[in-house]
This record gives sequence, structure tokens and C-alpha cells, in this order.
Amino acid sequence: MEKLDKELDRIMPGGTFGDVMVVGGGISGIQAALDLATSGFKVFLVDRAPTIGGKMAQLDKTFPTNDCSMCIESPKFIECDRHPNIEIMTYTEVDRVDGKAGDFTVSLTKKARYIDEDKCTGCTTCVEYCPVQVPDPFNQDLCGNKAVHIYFSQAVPLVPYIDERCLYLEEKKCSICTAVCKNGAIDLHQKPEQIEINVGAIVLSPGLDTFDPATRGDFGYGTYENVVTSLDFERLLCATGPHEGEILRPSDKKHPQKIAWIHCVGSRQVIEGGNSYCSSVCCSYIQKQVILSKDHNADMVATIFHNDIRSHGKDFERFYQRAENLSDVTFVRSYVQASGEDPESKNVVIRYSTPDDGVKEDEFDLVVLGVGLCPPKDSMGLAEKFGIELTPYGFCETDSTNPVQTSREGILVSGAFRGPIDIPESVMTASGASAQVGEMLDYRRGKLARDRVYPEERDVTDEDAKVGVFVCHCGANIGRIVDIPSVVDYSLSLDNVTHAEEGLFICSTDAAAQISNTIREKGLNRVVVAACTPRTHEPLFRDTLREGGINQYFFDMANIREHCSWVHSKQKEEATVKAKDIVRMSVARTKNLEPLQEFDLPVTKAALVVGGGIAGMTSALSLASQGIDVHLVEKEKDLGGMALRIRSTLDGLDVQSYIKELIEKVYKHQRIQVAHSATITDVSGYVGNFVTTVEFEGRVREICHGAAILTTGADEYKPTEYLYGEDDRVLTQLELEEAVVKGDGRLAEATSLAMIQCVGCRSEEKNYCARVCCGQAVKNALKLKEDYPELDIYVLYRDMRTYGFSEDAYREAAEKGIRFVRFEADAKPEVEAATDDEGRPVLRLTVTDPVLQKNLEIDNSLLVLSAAVVPAAGASEVARWFKVAMNPDGFFQEAHVKLRPVDFAADGVFLGGTNHYPKNISETIAQALGAAGRAGSLLSQDTVTASGSVCEVEEDDCVSCGACITACSYGAISFQDTPKGAKAVVNPVLCKGDGLCSAKCPTSAIVLKHFTDKEVMDQIDAALA
Amino acid sequence: MTKPMETVAPFKEIIDEFKEAGAVSCSLCYQCGKCDVVCPWNRVKDFSMRKVVREASLGLAEIEGEEIWTCTTCGTCPDNCPRGVGQIETVVSLRKVASEYGVFPGSVKAVRAVRGSLTADGNPLQEERANRGNWADGLGVPKFKEGMEVLYFVGCYYSYDPRMKKAAVATAKILKQAGVDFGILGSKESCCGESIRKTGGEEAFRSLARENIKTFIDNGVKRILVASPHCYETFVKEYPEFMVNFEVVHMTSFLLELLAEGRLELRGDFAKKVTYHDPCYLGRHNGIYDAPRDILHKIPGLDLVEMRDNREKSLCCGGGGGRIWADTHKDERFSDLRLAQAEEVGAEVLVTSCPYCITHFEEARLNLADDAKLEIRDITELIHEVIQD
Repeated sequence: MEKLDKELDRIMPGGTFGDVMVVGGGISGIQAALDLATSGFKVFLVDRAPTIGGKMAQLDKTFPTNDCSMCIESPKFIECDRHPNIEIMTYTEVDRVDGKAGDFTVSLTKKARYIDEDKCTGCTTCVEYCPVQVPDPFNQDLCGNKAVHIYFSQAVPLVPYIDERCLYLEEKKCSICTAVCKNGAIDLHQKPEQIEINVGAIVLSPGLDTFDPATRGDFGYGTYENVVTSLDFERLLCATGPHEGEILRPSDKKHPQKIAWIHCVGSRQVIEGGNSYCSSVCCSYIQKQVILSKDHNADMVATIFHNDIRSHGKDFERFYQRAENLSDVTFVRSYVQASGEDPESKNVVIRYSTPDDGVKEDEFDLVVLGVGLCPPKDSMGLAEKFGIELTPYGFCETDSTNPVQTSREGILVSGAFRGPIDIPESVMTASGASAQVGEMLDYRRGKLARDRVYPEERDVTDEDAKVGVFVCHCGANIGRIVDIPSVVDYSLSLDNVTHAEEGLFICSTDAAAQISNTIREKGLNRVVVAACTPRTHEPLFRDTLREGGINQYFFDMANIREHCSWVHSKQKEEATVKAKDIVRMSVARTKNLEPLQEFDLPVTKAALVVGGGIAGMTSALSLASQGIDVHLVEKEKDLGGMALRIRSTLDGLDVQSYIKELIEKVYKHQRIQVAHSATITDVSGYVGNFVTTVEFEGRVREICHGAAILTTGADEYKPTEYLYGEDDRVLTQLELEEAVVKGDGRLAEATSLAMIQCVGCRSEEKNYCARVCCGQAVKNALKLKEDYPELDIYVLYRDMRTYGFSEDAYREAAEKGIRFVRFEADAKPEVEAATDDEGRPVLRLTVTDPVLQKNLEIDNSLLVLSAAVVPAAGASEVARWFKVAMNPDGFFQEAHVKLRPVDFAADGVFLGGTNHYPKNISETIAQALGAAGRAGSLLSQDTVTASGSVCEVEEDDCVSCGACITACSYGAISFQDTPKGAKAVVNPVLCKGDGLCSAKCPTSAIVLKHFTDKEVMDQIDAALA
Repeated sequence: MTKPMETVAPFKEIIDEFKEAGAVSCSLCYQCGKCDVVCPWNRVKDFSMRKVVREASLGLAEIEGEEIWTCTTCGTCPDNCPRGVGQIETVVSLRKVASEYGVFPGSVKAVRAVRGSLTADGNPLQEERANRGNWADGLGVPKFKEGMEVLYFVGCYYSYDPRMKKAAVATAKILKQAGVDFGILGSKESCCGESIRKTGGEEAFRSLARENIKTFIDNGVKRILVASPHCYETFVKEYPEFMVNFEVVHMTSFLLELLAEGRLELRGDFAKKVTYHDPCYLGRHNGIYDAPRDILHKIPGLDLVEMRDNREKSLCCGGGGGRIWADTHKDERFSDLRLAQAEEVGAEVLVTSCPYCITHFEEARLNLADDAKLEIRDITELIHEVIQD
């Protein structure tokens, strides 16, 4: 019995037995934890920092949408915090991992934070009284913070920690915090605690460190005061930064008018102490910083010193153009030297070179170093503790065919520990890692999971509306512009408002918990949060209302940030008046709100995967291994997709044998059914319950599935330029690969071969970078050089976009004598069929070399065009069937570019591979696994919840005109026979609540719940009042 | 706006010829412009190493032009090159090709005569081989014999140049006072060949090197003390190409050794503001930055100040890469800038340890204002002053 009790203790909340440990609580770790916990695993989320959040929490905004980084990340902190299957362990380090996959024992040390987390309420009285200032690590040491402080306002857990530079800890001098803490939460004698935890699998997501320019003193960093790193600059930009969002330079705290950004600091170099790889993200984050700086100060003059601009991500090319087209923003293609500092002004002199005017100098008020991404500082230690292999750079070693698997079974990796990647890839790989955990631990899914328990919902039918208004400063985002206290006072003057208060960050854990308490204590039955946007925060606050014991639809958000403080930043008084208007409108609407019920629907535990290329097969196999039945439909008669035309990858994968193996696995898997030569003829249903009709090989089948993954791939652009199609010596890269495989005789005979990059993209018509072509050109050039050493190879490019580790291959190609010639967009190479001096027919290329400022004339035997990756022919049809969006370039539009990179806005439909954006095989696999992780997480549930805010038909008022049926894009309305004739009926599960039908109905028979006429009209009346 | 642009064709045969001569790493260049940014030439005139490298990689370099002769091989750009391009080996290769065709443009015409002198007399200064040891007359400096502690390899400028001979004399006196068992090779010593090799004179270099190596071996030389960083460079890095390895020590390191072992005592003081110039081939090329400074710190009363460009960022005197024999326009001399830097920090004495640097600085000193007090000294001269009773 005693033994049983012990065992129970272990598996109960707070126990030491779980399914998965996620090590590293940045965005990648958070996503992995949420996916795993939602799919029924008990997760320990471990972070060495005093809070979860990682590097993303330090960023001001994220490219290319300029979303506020903390605003989109912090709701996930709370989601983790509230998730019954996630146990967060911060300020904790892993010491050792024993055991094997399925049964790991992880030894951890919980560092002393000198605060009893259970007793602390996060009231910060201790912080107020603490007399010691220490450099604030969250703010890159650019300003001070108290020796006891909360890491940042939205920290989870919202508990302070005491820095080792505390007077007591250093010299046993002061202990005022102990005296002022009413809860006795301060424990200056706290000792590190050793913990052992048992899990079946581990996801490693320790993230990255940025390159430290201090070591070599790059560009005067550490010597010149006004040289900062880009991460420093993120903090300077940020409303919660050292100067509350004022960009002030370090030397004199003045606004810099002239700023220089320097690219590739620590990256793309073989100099000792630097990294040879490209850090992939810096080009875009610098453009972001330029755009934001211009937002802060429209007169600011910016110069960006760069090499190749690498805008190889989705929508990055347009983002680059956006930065480039700003006034007083100049991009200069030159690496530079910080040649001096003005002793008086502390301005920094930058030397740079130009092909036209030689070397020049310019003086800047502030210099921002675009520092690269490195593995975490102690990656060697991590490798040792976890028993995993590292790459020579110190990143985690993975296999390109399984980019989330470490060298040790049972330990997976996600995020930037795999290499320099941006946020969406970190999120994709997190979901991918969770998919693989799901495959491995499917047998124990749900055994330790718990459901969320909410207090019982209070019936408020007979109560008068009692509205509580919570007004958020959003750090300085709103508070700097809008006079918050006056908005609070004003709110209290409004009818039905019985409570109003302000908060620094209402979305922080404690503030949200406080709202729940206030609802209970003050008997509130309506809540208005005047803050940011419902797009990111409505789910969080609705959940808060449930915690407070009232119906979650009694909530409304008054957006006084996007609709007010951000757009009226120069008109503070008017902004305050407008904020009051917005709150008044919201309160007017809120008092009419009705309680709505959401309902659960059963989930069909099967998935449909559309497209049988590498992405589709990878997703299918992962889902099948997670115990889910998969229907894989392929439009061609064979599986394989585009990969059938690819010989090998840059990192040496033999694609044909890999794909052969993959196809075999798919056919052998009992849970996968493949339909070849298939066409989708109908899709109906909704998340959890789709029915898709597929015609294939003369048969028609209706497939019931709970989720769909679209992996429809992409095509190669068919060039119309450079004599393609007119002269058979002009090939595309894929055709070249086929020629190499076939041993095309023309290759052996060729003396010179040229490749032209960016054919069919980075143009007005296709304004995006096809991402893979530079790597593909380098790969093919290297292969040709290996097979035909005497062959002269030229690569004509605009920017070599060999991001990440493929930079090494670019250098290798140059080393092997492959010649790279850059050309400008407005001076494209010209090609003509000609004869050379010896009378041989050649393809003569003319291109201007920007360094020599001369035209180069190159005679070639063959010309290879790096033709763009374009959306697949049938993509838009698939998009229509599944009601998913496409971007202007014709690629599928994910739900959120940063945080939901494999989800569609349409529930239950996911995407993976090149239909999202061009990507290489390894990236495709990573995303396909991510999609399998997300879909698996959904399908592991028994039910899904449908919204309460849907349309409803008042049967008596319906005149059966059918206008609503035509208006609905989701097929949610149909006629049903009633005793009074055919009447329109809304299927609430399909209804997305867009209200189109309601607007169309001539007799106002359709009501959109939560947006009733009364609610909306009162809101409008309040606006005009 | 649009000026007619010249059209050129990359020439496969010439690319191959350059490659054959050693211009291999130039193909690595991604044209970032960093070499131009750090190049000292761009402080005095426009010069694009990036362009030279680009031309070399496409077989378009003009071997009859001045551009390929401009580089002083100071080593700043290769140290800063993110791609690992060997700019020095690139220009030296181009000079090799130019030499093979016997093309020496205006500013480097003298190189032809230098080669003649090296072949005939083993020195670039058109002096007689027989007189090489004359500087030591009356100092009681012995000929090197097997078993001696070190061979003092004097070097051409220290042997013949009137200004530099003073430093050689100081050196001999220091060594004697410290009781070092040393000898010289006298007329058997030949130019080390470092600088002529940088002008593309590969054959001249090889024959000089062979000659020296033979002499070293014949005389049972084990440890070689050199005063010129250029001798040091080639003995340490290039002579091993002939499969020989001698222990080579630079004067500054050796003096520090003597001081540390107590064989040399600093008795007098030198109460002046002194700045130290890092010769390219001692500092950047061989990483010796601390030994000279450590010595200077030990001198009583001496106040050592640093110039703006010091250590890794030291400004070249202009004399490396064979430029010691070239004509440099009077407005384009780095040595003038360097002296200005010394004056800027209020130095009274500019100390260094390279015959080319001293030669250039002494020349530049003549251009200083009449009341300028800046002295140019070899580090041995300073030591010699403070070890006397």
C-alpha cells in the first residue's frame, strides 16, 4: 500500500514521473511542450532562465509582419502555465541523462532563486525596497534592475529571483526584502535542489546565443560607446526596453539621427573566432530594425553596409524592398571597418568601399552590429550531458532526412540548436519533434494526462449587467500615448461599470489571475479589456473569464493599441479621447452580451494527406506511426513528386535511394492507404469530421477524416527568357541534374558552362526569392566540377543566397575555381547564339562585372537557368476545396507566419513542403513532420470544440429565398424541410461566424450570435453619443 | 550618364598561367571590399586590391601595369579577409608572371638592378660582397664557428647602410657585454631573399636561399639571431621549403631573453616619451608584439605611449613587398602618416626593429618641421644606451 502511495505521488501533479522533458523554454520549447501536452503527454518544460520565453521574448518585433514579439509569444507562456499537462521548471539546469529511450532518468539542479515560489504572490514589494542595482540581463545590461526582480513583466512563473550580486548574498549586509515580504517568501538561505525525473523522451530546444563581438573587439564593440549589437538594439527599440522604447544611444542618451547597420558580424568568414556559415536571419532582422527605427524617427538617416542580401524567406523580398524604399535609407554593398571615434561627439567613423569612388568614410551617431547566431555557449557541455553528437560548429548533429532526431535515440531536437534558423522553422521543428515523440510513445499517450477543471459557471440571467473594465498600459505601447488613469476614471463613470482598474501588462499571468479573482469578488458578469487585439489575446481572456466562473462570451476587447495608440502616437490628447470612445462603445456592447455554449464534436481518427511527394509521405508515415489511419492521395500515377527529378542534396543525400526507401515504407505501412492518379471531387465537413470524395483509377471513394494535410508541392518555372525553348543548349537546373544522371554527352564535350540565377523570380511578376536555387546551382556546379574538372563554370547571380551551412559549399565552389559574377537587377545578362574565334558555335553571354566595371563576354557550350520554384498547377483548386487561403504569389497562406507555420486558418487543415514556400528537402521534411505533429495533436483528442459565436435562423422569419446559402463560403447553410416548408438551417459546426448570411438575409431571419443587431447598434449608438 | 563600357573576355590560358604562378586563392573572393577598406594605400590614394584580385581570378590582370606592384604586403587585408583570400600570394604570383616577361613599370624599374646586384654580390644595394662584414671592423666580432651559441645574421641593410650600420654596431656591443658566444658570417652571408621573392623574383630568391642554407650547414649553424623581421619571416616560413629547419630568434625576443636571464643589465635610464612601431613582418606576419614592448617597459624612466594604429592594426612604413626599392610619390608615403601619428601622441622617440621601417622613417623625418624633435631609433640602439656604465 505504501509503495502504491509513493507511486501515486510520483505520477500526480508535482511528481517526478512524466512522458517528455522539453529542455529549453524559448518559442520552440514552448511549442513542443504545448503540442505534446495537448496530445496527451505529461511534459516537464525546463529552462535555465528564471522564466520561459527565450530569445524571442527579447525581440521588439518580428519580421516580416512586424508583429510585437512579446505580444504574440506571451499568450503561449500563459497557455503553458495553465495547461494541466505541463509542469514548468525554471532556473533549472539538466546535469545528467541516464537510461534509454522510453526510460530516461534526468538529474536536474534547481538553482536557488532565494524565493519560495509557492509563497510568492508576485507583488514585487521586495523589488521596490531592494537598494541594489545590477545590470539587467533581459535588457542586455543596457540598464540596471534591482538585485531582486522579476525577469520581465510577462514572466512565467511571475516570481522574482535574487541576483548573486545581492548585498546579502555577497556580504551578508542587507535583508530588507525579507522584512518587507508579507508572505515570508524570501529565503536567502535557499540551496540549490537536486531533482531526478523520469521521462520516456526528451526534446532539446536550448536555442541559440548571438555572436559576441567583444571577444575580438569587432568594429570597436567594447571600445566605442556607440557601437551596439543588434540584440542590444532590439531592447533599445522595445517599449519595455532600457529607455521605454526611446532609441537613445549609450554615450549621451540622445536620439541618434544617423545610424549604420553592419551585416555579417561574426558570420560568413574564415577568420579566427568567426563563423564560416551564414546566420540566415540577420539580413531580414536588420531590415526590420531599419523600418522600426524610421517609425520611431521619420527623419533618421540609415545606412546599411552589407554583402549579399539574403531575403530567402516567405515575403522577405517584399520586406527588403519596403526597407530599401524608405527615404534616407541607403544600402551599401561593402564590408567596413570602424576606423575611429570622435573624442568629442563619440560618433563612430565607418570606412567602406565603393567600386566607383574608392574607399570613403562616414560618421554615424550609432552603429548597430548585425551579429550572427551561434550554438548555445555551453553546447559542448550539453552534448556531454545528453550524450549527443555535435557538428563541427557546435550545433546539434542531425540527419538531413530526419532533421529533429539527435544521435541518441529518444532525444529529439528543435529550434536553433539545429543551426541558424528563424522563428517559424523553430516552431515547425518543435511540432516535428512532438510528432516523433508521438510515434515513439504512442503506447502511453493519455495515461498521465489530465483535463483542465474550471469552476462551475455562474448563472447571471437575473443579474443586472455589472461590467468590469481593465485598461492595459501594454508596457509603454499604450501608456506612453494614452492617459490610462483618465481612461479608468472615465470608465467608472459609464453606466453598468462597477469596477475599473489599470495594469502594466494585463496579459501577464498574475494580472490575468487577478481578473478572475476580481470577477468573483466583485460579482462582475461582464468584462471589457481595453488593450490590444482579440486576434492574439481573446482566447486568453475568455479563458480568464471561465476561471472567474462566468460564461466566456461575456467578454469584449476594446482595442486601444492598434486602433489608437499605435496610429495616433503623435496626438496624445486626441488618442486619450479616442480610447475613451472605444471603451464606451465596448461597454455598450458588452451589457447586451449573452452566454453562449460551445460544444464538443467527436473526432474521426484518420487523416487525409494530399500530395505524395517527400512532404506528403513524411507526414503520412509520421501520422501512421502515431497510430492514425492515413489516406494518401497523389495526382500522378507514382509517388515521389518533384524529388524524383533531384539527384542529390548539397549535404550529399542520395535522393533517389532515399525516396525509394520512403515509398517502400509508405506502401508497407498498414495504416496508410494510397490512392494514385487521384482527383479530389468534393470536400465537405469540418475539423474532426471531414468527408472527401476522391476519384482514382476509375474508382470513387468517400474518405472520412478528422484532419487534412496539404502537401501538394510546387513546380519548376518554365522560362521564356535566355533562349530557353529556342536553343536546346539552354537547360533548367532540374534538366541539368537529369543530364548529369544520364551522362549527357554534351557535358563531356562542353568547355564552358554558365548558370544564371533568379530566372523567373525576384521580378515584378514573381516578387519573391525561390530560396533553393542558389544552393542548387552550387550543388550542381560542384558535381560538374567533380565529373569534368576541365569544364569552366560561371554562376551569374544577383545575391548568392546560400544561407546557413550552405555558405560553406558556396566557398568550396569558389575555391574549386567556379567563377561567380554578380549582376544588377536592371542589367541582366544577355545571351546570343554566336560562333567563337575558332568557328565553334557558342552561347555568348554578356554581363557587367560590378567590380571591374567592364562587360564580361563569356562563350559557353551550355547555359543553365536557375528557374524559380512556382506554385503547383493544381494548388488553387485544392485551396478552394479546403477553403484555405493563398498569398499573392500563389503559395498557401499559413495561419500565422511566425507562430502557426503549418496550420491553416481553417481548422483541421495543415500544410507542409513547397506549397507553403520553396524549400529544400531537409526543410521540407522538417515542415512535414511539423504538420504531422500538429495534425497528430488534433487527432489524439476525442473531441474538438466548436465556437458559440455562430449564426442561427429564426425559422418563422425565413422566406426560403436561399440568399444566405449563396453567401456562405463554408457551405454551412442548407434548406431543411419543416412543416412550414423548406427553411434555411445553419450547421453550427461549419459556421465560421463571419455573418455574411446575416447581412444578406432580407428578413433579418439570421442572427449571428455574439454580434446581434442589438449589440452592434448599441455599440454604434455609443460611438455617436 | 551611360559611358561606353569596355568589353573583355575572361582568358582561360591567362587564368591558367596566373594559377600556375600561384594565384589560386583569388578565386575565393566574394568582393566584399574589406581589403580596400583596411588597405593603407587608401589613406593616400585610390587603390583597389579587390579589383586586382578580381582581375587575377578572371585572367584580366594587367601585368604590365603599376597596380600589381602597389601592394606592400603589409598583411592587413589577408588578416581581415573573411573569405581567406591570399592577397599577397596573388600579387606575388602576378609579379612572377610580369618578371618572366621582364616587365617592370616606372616605379619599380629599380628591381631589375636589384636583382643584378643580388646575383652578383648577394645584396640589393650594389655593394661589394667582400665589404659585407666591414661594419664590424675593430669591434672584435669573431667569424662564426661551429659550437657557438648563436649566429648573428646581420642582414643587408644593417651591413651596408650607413644609418643601419649604427644599429649593427650597437647589437655587437650588447651581445659582447652580455657575454653571448656569437659570430657572423661576414662576406659569406647573403641576402635572405625575402623581399626579392615578393617582387616575383622566385629564381633569385631560391639561389640566395640555397646559398645561405649551404653556408649555415657548412658552418654547423644551429641557432640564428636576426635583426630584420624580413630575414625572420623567410627563415621561419620559407626556408623550410628546402627541407631545413634552423632555430631562428628575432632580436627583440633574444634581448628579452638576455634581460630575463640577467645576462644583460639596464643601468642607465632613458627618460623620454617613446612610441613603438610594429613592423609588419614582426607583428602581423609573425605575431611578435609583446617582446619589444616588454623590453621597453623594463627601461628605467622610459614612458611608452601607443600610436593610434598599433599592434595588429599597425600602419605599414611602405617598405615591404619590395617597395623598399620602388619610387613612391612624395605625397603617398605611409611613413609621413606614421610620423604624424607618433607626434600626435607626443612621442620624442619612435622605436622599431626593422631596417626598412627605419630607413623610411629617417627619410620622412626630413620632412618634419624644423623644430620637430622626433628621433628614430632601432631598439638595439636604445638598449645599448642604457647598458653602459
